[in-house]
Amino acid sequence: MSGKEIDIGLHVLDHQLLDKDGRRCGNVDDLAIEGGVGEVPEVVAILCGPGYWGPRAGLVGRLAGWIGGGRKVRVPWSEVCKVDSAVELKRGATELGLGRGDDRVRPYMDKIPGAGR
Amino acid sequence: MSKALGLGLGIIAAIGGFVDIGDLVFNVAAGATFGYQLLWVIVIGLIGIIVYSEMCGRVAAVSGRAVFDAIRERVGFKGGVVALVSSEVVNLMTLAAELGGVAIALQLLSGLPYRWLIVFAVVAFAVVIWVTTFEWIERIFGFGGLCMLVFAVVAVKLGPDWGQVGAGFVPHIAHTNSLLYAYFVVGILGTAMTPYEVYFYSSGGIEDQWSPKDLGLNRANAILGYGLGGTLSFALMITGGALFLTHGISPQHLGTVALSAEQPLGQLGLLLALVGILFAVGAASIDTVFAGAYNLAQFCGWEWGRYRNPRGAPRFALTWLVLLLLALGILMTGVDPVLLTEYAVLFSVVALPLTYVPILLVANDKAYMGRYVNGRFANALGLIYLVVIMIVALAAIPLMILTNVGQN
Repeated sequence: MSGKEIDIGLHVLDHQLLDKDGRRCGNVDDLAIEGGVGEVPEVVAILCGPGYWGPRAGLVGRLAGWIGGGRKVRVPWSEVCKVDSAVELKRGATELGLGRGDDRVRPYMDKIPGAGR
Repeated sequence: MSKALGLGLGIIAAIGGFVDIGDLVFNVAAGATFGYQLLWVIVIGLIGIIVYSEMCGRVAAVSGRAVFDAIRERVGFKGGVVALVSSEVVNLMTLAAELGGVAIALQLLSGLPYRWLIVFAVVAFAVVIWVTTFEWIERIFGFGGLCMLVFAVVAVKLGPDWGQVGAGFVPHIAHTNSLLYAYFVVGILGTAMTPYEVYFYSSGGIEDQWSPKDLGLNRANAILGYGLGGTLSFALMITGGALFLTHGISPQHLGTVALSAEQPLGQLGLLLALVGILFAVGAASIDTVFAGAYNLAQFCGWEWGRYRNPRGAPRFALTWLVLLLLALGILMTGVDPVLLTEYAVLFSVVALPLTYVPILLVANDKAYMGRYVNGRFANALGLIYLVVIMIVALAAIPLMILTNVGQN
């Protein structure tokens, strides 16, 4: 990532994550930012998963996160290849630990005839 | 050619999709209570849904974001959760009401017990959505829903006083029973601007891979589709006024609405009306259940799509299956679908600002929209409607209590 300036709050946070094959694999639920007093803060990772909802929305977020299973996935910022209307990643979702819910539900759906129509 | 075909199919789907159980209940009841006096409210609701659908379609085409993506990005996680929960609750109530309407239409066509038909309808929808591609669902329900046009014939055949019909298009306030009048104003606006329509519409635009090239198609779809659907609302209200008001009948049952086609057109009219109601309300059931699944999937960033098979979008498929089961549970309690419809419409009115405010914000954001940002005309209309929506949202619950859900 380099080049044009982007507003992290508006153009990254809460955006759709797409893996290298264009698969939807989560949203940017939070960002890990490093940098002490007087330093330029730097985004080091995208935080994804219901486990990160609590800090963002208090009790409601914690409840929603608990219902959602509380999983936390940390994707280093170096894995980001492009920030467009979605945040596009350099590798596949499974490799990065993303989209696991869909992968877990799929075998059950597949047991019902016609799932692959 | 394929564009014209696409437009044609889109319009047919919109006619079926616009008219749902809320329109049937509120427009006919309004006609039966106030004659043609509330026709102007349909016009206002119709322009509102066209303005906001066009906006959502444009946002989808230009920025590649469906409504719930945009809501979460724009109002943040916390506001997004509130919008999500309220829209899912309203969606589920609407879905149950629509499925109840399907079961009533089936009951009138077959004479079988209502409760069995609820189970049959839910299972049938689950199987149809599971095994059929959406292209076919859209065609079958779109063409079936065209039978609703019989109500346009009915409205004309009943020979209403056209002078009075014309006067109904001029906005005015009732001198007697003004609380009930206001209740119907809120209900008619709410059912015309039901948010599931824009969730469904904008997600479809993303799936059809709209780009700025398709903005003309978007506009035509919104104006013609909803415009033609709206003429059916006029017909329903005129029918209610010409038939039920003059005979002093207040239609408490969906079957009464269908029976209105029998008087001028005989058995064939009744059959067309029932088949039309079945498919129109059926199409609305499918739109609603998908809207619920779209919202959750977009909020959470899952795979989604009505053109995807369950293998391609597993949690999306699981969501609509669960929503169908929940709706089945609601209906099996024996709740009256017509009453459920009224509650669903009124609660959706309360939640309207949560959907339409973020859309207006996004459509005005240059960072998202570039040069396709709202023009002055769209903004003026958008803002006027925002005020209307706010007033109606605040008035909905008090009016519901004061009129005892339209009972007096």
